Amino acid sequence: MSLLEVSDLSVRFDTDDGQVHAVDRFSFTLGEREVVGVVGESGCGKSVSFMSLLRLLPETAIVSGTAMFDGVDLLSVPVSQLRRVRGRRIAFVFQEPMTSLNPAFKIGNQIGEVLRRHLGLSRPAARTRAIELLELVRIPAPDRRVDEYPHQLSGGMRQRVMIAMALACDPKILIADEPTTALDVTIQAGILDLMRDIRERLGTSIVLITHNLGVVADIADRVIVMYAGRKAEEAPVRELFARPQHPYTNGLLGAVPRPGAAADASRRLREIPGRVPSLAELPHACAFAPRCPRADAQSRSAVPELREVHPGHHVACFHPGPDAEAVA
Amino acid sequence: MSFVDTTAAVISPRARRRRILRRRFLRRPLAVVGLVVATAFILGAILAPVVAPYSAGTTDFNALLAHASSKHLLGTDELGRDVFSRILWGARASIEAGVLATLVAMAVAVPIGVAAGYYRGFVDTVIARLTDVLLAFPFLILAVGLAAILGPSLTNATIALGVGAAPALIRIARGEALALREEDYVRAAIANGASDLRILARHVLPNMLSTLIVQATVAIPTAIIGEAVLSFLGLGVQPPTPSWGVMLADAQSYLSQAPLLAVYPGIAIFLCSLSFNLLGDGLRDILDPRTTR
Repeated sequence: MSLLEVSDLSVRFDTDDGQVHAVDRFSFTLGEREVVGVVGESGCGKSVSFMSLLRLLPETAIVSGTAMFDGVDLLSVPVSQLRRVRGRRIAFVFQEPMTSLNPAFKIGNQIGEVLRRHLGLSRPAARTRAIELLELVRIPAPDRRVDEYPHQLSGGMRQRVMIAMALACDPKILIADEPTTALDVTIQAGILDLMRDIRERLGTSIVLITHNLGVVADIADRVIVMYAGRKAEEAPVRELFARPQHPYTNGLLGAVPRPGAAADASRRLREIPGRVPSLAELPHACAFAPRCPRADAQSRSAVPELREVHPGHHVACFHPGPDAEAVA
Repeated sequence: MSFVDTTAAVISPRARRRRILRRRFLRRPLAVVGLVVATAFILGAILAPVVAPYSAGTTDFNALLAHASSKHLLGTDELGRDVFSRILWGARASIEAGVLATLVAMAVAVPIGVAAGYYRGFVDTVIARLTDVLLAFPFLILAVGLAAILGPSLTNATIALGVGAAPALIRIARGEALALREEDYVRAAIANGASDLRILARHVLPNMLSTLIVQATVAIPTAIIGEAVLSFLGLGVQPPTPSWGVMLADAQSYLSQAPLLAVYPGIAIFLCSLSFNLLGDGLRDILDPRTTR
């Protein structure tokens, strides 16, 4: 049974230069206790798709499709009802831990605010729970930290506070938008550890939006690769790394450094030629065609639909299959 | 970070921040002078019944237009009233009008400005253009016009000054709200299910408070001068109640016999507004996060 079922999600932005298609007919499901990694380059629509689910986008965004969660369509319920989902059933962790906390209040009050609003806790009860949450996200001396202001915490600690705030109401789904990008590598590992732990202990389903395939390999059960607002490939994590089908996925994997594995001149890192297309107009073609070594006339004249190549492994490409080089 | 940790263990962060701000403030001699003089004026106004040697209306017909003496520190006016006492009593009207008019301006401007800046849209456009139009009128012309419509009294003068000062504050509050609504913590609060009202009360207002405090200390001296002008023109405090503006107006007729009668209230207005301005500048300097000295 899937917890969240998004179908045909499209997001367009009205700009002065006309409409920009940020997300095009994106569908996906999220199961109980599942960790899904969403990867892609900057601007491929991964953050926009998930922010649109809780309607966190500016008013210029035009969102269509459905997102069924708990019997309601998140994209059409009134905002007053959506507010009871936001932070309570579905929580969001943003990329910028340095600026996502209000500098004017103690962190304990900020976590407590969420608890008091959604769960109706009293001030002292909220404080006690805030300390527990800080402990859960492994902040040392939580009973002292609870009375500190954001500027007194490091970036890693602030991200932990953001996660604590997101977990405050024991949400069913945690959407983490590049939670580790702004942090240094050792802190990153700690945060990922923490998320794994959260899934184990609280049974929270997690959507992890990232451009780091290493992070995905580390923690995700299933991976969605996005390109130019469309889903390019979707597969269980082992399957994706073992048999990448889409040339874009192959390209991403080829660009990941692998220490130990023939680190000589013969296996240099490959970059993907070209760059992410502008989303001003969606071409009647595979969006990746201009950068793709396998592109042919068909790729340039029709949009490839998703099809299943192995059980649970979907790809939107006319010429799927692993690169000879990437497999070796 | 470890520095912060050890210090934080000893004293609370709020106390530490207060100490830093106090030290920064004390390092600005002009701001300290402003604070001292402004406090002196406020105390003089509050304590006028105790400190002033005479009541505001006491006449001494043996000493009309008298020069300064030990009996009358700054001399007397045409009715033999003690000028020093009247300056102290007059400070009440000035500071009352200055502070209350600023509060009125805040009460009018902050909700309008914040709503416009936070919600944007059509209402914002209307409010922004309307304040632009009002700002095209000089502040005093606007206040004089409003006071003339409302009728002469200190209360009406205060309201007129407050409403006259509102457009500038609306613009500032709107600008702050425009900037703050884009903050990541506002987005995070929305994602956590906060209502608009809560976001405004918890995330927008508190973070614009230091700007508002500075604007208030700048608005107070303007309102003090405005009160003097309105009273001078007969639109504010009515004689015989003392006010610096009324004293100036009365002194006009005796400029050739007793020019100092006009000088003393003038100096009072000058020193009082200057002190609040210096205080405001000092506060702006220490509360501005860009000055980290």
